[in-house]
Amino acid sequence: MEFFERFAIYHPSPLIYASMVAIGLVSIAIVVGITYFKKWGYLWNEWLTTVDHKKIGIMYIISALLMLFRGGADAIMMRLQTAVPDNSFLDAQHYNEVFTTHGVVMIMFMAMPFIIGLMNFIVPLQIGARDVAFPRLNAISFWLFFFGAMLFNVSFVIGGSPDAGWTNYYPLASNEFSPSVGVNYYNWALQISGIGTLMTGINFIATILKMRAPGMKLMKMPMFTWASLLTNVIIVFAFPVLTIALLMGTFDRQFGTNFFTSMNGGMDMMWANLFWIWGHPEVYILILPAFGIYSEIISTFSERNLYGYKSMVWSMVLISLFSFTVWLHHFFTMGQNAFTNSIFSITTIAIAIPTGIKIFNWLLTMWKGKIRFTVPMLYSIAFIPLFTIGGATGVMLGIASADYQYHNTMFLVAHFHNVIIPGVVFAVLAGFTYWWPKMFGFMLNEKIGKWAFWFLTIGFCLAFFPMYVTGLDGQARRMYTYSEATGFGPLNMLSFFGAGLMAIAFALIVYNVYYSFRHSPRNVGDDPWNARSLEWATHNPVPEYNFAVTPEVKSSQAFWDQKKHGHKLFDKEYEEIHMPNKSGVPFIMGVLFSIFGFSFIFAIWIGVILSAIGIFACMIHRTFEQVHGFHISVKEIKETEEKFGGADK
Amino acid sequence: MKIDHSQPLEYSTEQNRLNILGFWIFLGAEIMLFATLFTSYFVYEDRIGSGPSGADIFEITPVLIETIILLTSSFTIGLAVHAMRINRTKAMTVFLGITLLLGAAFLATEIYEFNHYYHVGATLQTSGFTGILLTTLGTHGAHVTLGLFWGTMILMQIKKRGLTPQIANKSFIFSLYWHFLDVVWIFIFSFIYLKGMM
Amino acid sequence: MKELFPMKQVNGFIFSLLLTVIALSVYFLDMSFSVAMTILLVTAFIQAGVQLILFMHAGESEDKSSIYTTTFYAISIALFTVFGSLLAMIWGYMF
Ligand code: HEM
Ligand SMILES: [Cu+2]
Repeated sequence: MEFFERFAIYHPSPLIYASMVAIGLVSIAIVVGITYFKKWGYLWNEWLTTVDHKKIGIMYIISALLMLFRGGADAIMMRLQTAVPDNSFLDAQHYNEVFTTHGVVMIMFMAMPFIIGLMNFIVPLQIGARDVAFPRLNAISFWLFFFGAMLFNVSFVIGGSPDAGWTNYYPLASNEFSPSVGVNYYNWALQISGIGTLMTGINFIATILKMRAPGMKLMKMPMFTWASLLTNVIIVFAFPVLTIALLMGTFDRQFGTNFFTSMNGGMDMMWANLFWIWGHPEVYILILPAFGIYSEIISTFSERNLYGYKSMVWSMVLISLFSFTVWLHHFFTMGQNAFTNSIFSITTIAIAIPTGIKIFNWLLTMWKGKIRFTVPMLYSIAFIPLFTIGGATGVMLGIASADYQYHNTMFLVAHFHNVIIPGVVFAVLAGFTYWWPKMFGFMLNEKIGKWAFWFLTIGFCLAFFPMYVTGLDGQARRMYTYSEATGFGPLNMLSFFGAGLMAIAFALIVYNVYYSFRHSPRNVGDDPWNARSLEWATHNPVPEYNFAVTPEVKSSQAFWDQKKHGHKLFDKEYEEIHMPNKSGVPFIMGVLFSIFGFSFIFAIWIGVILSAIGIFACMIHRTFEQVHGFHISVKEIKETEEKFGGADK
Repeated sequence: MKIDHSQPLEYSTEQNRLNILGFWIFLGAEIMLFATLFTSYFVYEDRIGSGPSGADIFEITPVLIETIILLTSSFTIGLAVHAMRINRTKAMTVFLGITLLLGAAFLATEIYEFNHYYHVGATLQTSGFTGILLTTLGTHGAHVTLGLFWGTMILMQIKKRGLTPQIANKSFIFSLYWHFLDVVWIFIFSFIYLKGMM
Repeated sequence: MKELFPMKQVNGFIFSLLLTVIALSVYFLDMSFSVAMTILLVTAFIQAGVQLILFMHAGESEDKSSIYTTTFYAISIALFTVFGSLLAMIWGYMF
């Protein structure tokens, strides 16, 4: 019995018990459903064992959407709790847990995988490759992310959620102040999915550097590919820092070391330092691909080449390096002297310059363009002014002396939501709509999409702009309630209302998927948006082998060249295509990693040892295995191409 | 699979070339991993609480032995790659074997060293300093251990299948890994031990 | 036998032993902290360069520019991290 006690919820409430039941029922329903429709084989063969970058991309996006709803539910709960003064819907401990899981889920398990999912699907197509450099590793990356995310979510019903904020500062995150296993979950869930992300980074750099179609020089890559390349560069250098920081945190909590304690030479500030050395680059990991998505969309729907391609590339290169030089702005108020703060204040403000350059690039692309107001374009247009506001408040926060006023207030919360929602969330939604026909061969309904857009944009403004005001008035972040005398009540109510509109927007997006699945016409052709870059030169949805023959490219607008300038993209005969084998090992490794993490969290050493042995066994199996892939014959290619209404050649 | 005979075996296929570049990028990540450990080491170096300092516990003899062993093993793995390139499979396996033996000797010395720390009261828990010291050394040691297993697997594969392009590729990548661990050790040697003892 | 021990590798090995000996001087000789640190920095980075270029053949393949760029990125970010953290946590820390 004692053994099981550790799994009990640390701070239970009827709400959690209700969700436990709900989670149990849904899981049973899923299992029964799959069995009833005899879909296990399909699931295993087509999805769980796949190494196809397109399917992996789609799985990333589905997981990200699920996590969006988990994080969104957290958000609504927080806004509900603070909607009126002295509310008692959540108590302090629950409020702590909710803002912690909200932050972690949204950044690590929603935004990152959504972006990596789009990258997976689009980048190989944009460079004319058959797959990524290491397809098997790509599957491992996905399953590590997926099981990391699942592990994190399990904390809700087994043992208790983390409660020290997504930044997980010590001493708050130490055993003393956070006695549940929640922070252990934080450590291991992020560790496991972080390793997956690191491998994605390596994989995509190798892919983009070495697998581009003939003729595609670096300076002829589509902008989203450039953005992805630099994002992955940041990933590769930032994530090892997180790995070590989490390891030290684990040691502190589970082996009694003195890294982040205040005794025996420990230094709690060191966690904040390491966390932000990773954390600031992390925000650029999120925003750079978003810039890439907007660049593609704005150029397509303005029917113009992207203005200032070179300056765009160079500003992103600069950002990829400089994003590692500003981290201290997250703790200006925590004990550094004025000289140190000034240095990081200058670097922080300097990095806003390359970001500013890009705003002008987009504006000048639209200038005199033939703008079509489609859903992806609406998101992109709304992004520009909203993100500019977020950037400007960022610069305000970046001024060290002023930050003493803003730090840890709702002003900061407004800032980062102001950059992340119009910046990243709008971008992935725009990309999702824009590339949807590429993935599934039909369009999402524009009318519902526009409704969702307006709900989301207006909801966003109502939810977050009031926080600038209350923040300047002194409302602290992460406080579960406030008194009526503060006068924060009405504006917080407004925020709650805005959050509600955003929730409606997300519901509309889901409804749109359902509606379009039922009603959208299936004959959209290969070029529904009159697009420009290479990914549109193949069919919708994309056949397994991507391109029947390898394209020859002469600019970053390869497809446009073909349409308008008579450039011959596919000037070759069909040849046999070599494809990688699928494999169940990545999935199994994911399962083993989650057992490893789970056992470690609860210090069940036997589970740790056994799963570690299992993981090594998988690796040994891999090095001795000889797989040669398989070939798609010319005949099969011809048949597929004919099914899509004839090849492009 | 197209094999390009104008290139050394380990570069001879497209996938091989991808693997090598991919591994270099991985080494970039490893540089940051160890840089983070060094960063933390420097921050904690003087935060010894009531425990011993570096000068109190470091001993030059085992450290020198470890350094020379590792430098030599880095030399022999270089010879192994060279032998592989002039098609001397037998010599290659011998050099690889020597490398692994030296790796094992390194580990044995390091275990001795850890044991010594334990006996003079410098454990993972003693202070910020001892914690980061043992974590940094331990991370390097864990890499060496992993390398020993990996190298052994490669030896077994050469015995079983000879030097195919794939196995040549793995051997070359293993050599990159091993040289890299040597580089890390040089930094540990200089900035942890020597700096701590001078 | 001789072809198994190319000059390049042998010289590289001897050179790296030599660098180790020079580095050891900071232990055996009496010198100021800054001189000693300079010696350590110089020998360590040369040693790393020897490994990278001589032994790891960083510059031999078609991807040498990618490899050098990666290493350059890694080293500059690493140095910034180390010194930035020292600034933040020791030199510029007020408590
Ligand atoms: C124009 C460029 C930007 C500048 C100058 C800037 C500046 C800052 C500063 C100084 C802070 C810390 C304030 C404090 O704690 O008191 C901060 C926090 C934050 N920023 Fe930005 N920022 C910029 C762009 C971005 C972007 C593009 C993103 C994400 C996509 C982002 C995400 C965040 C997040 C998540 C936090 C705070 C997290 C936390 O403490 O929980 N920022 N920003
Ligand atoms: Cu930042």
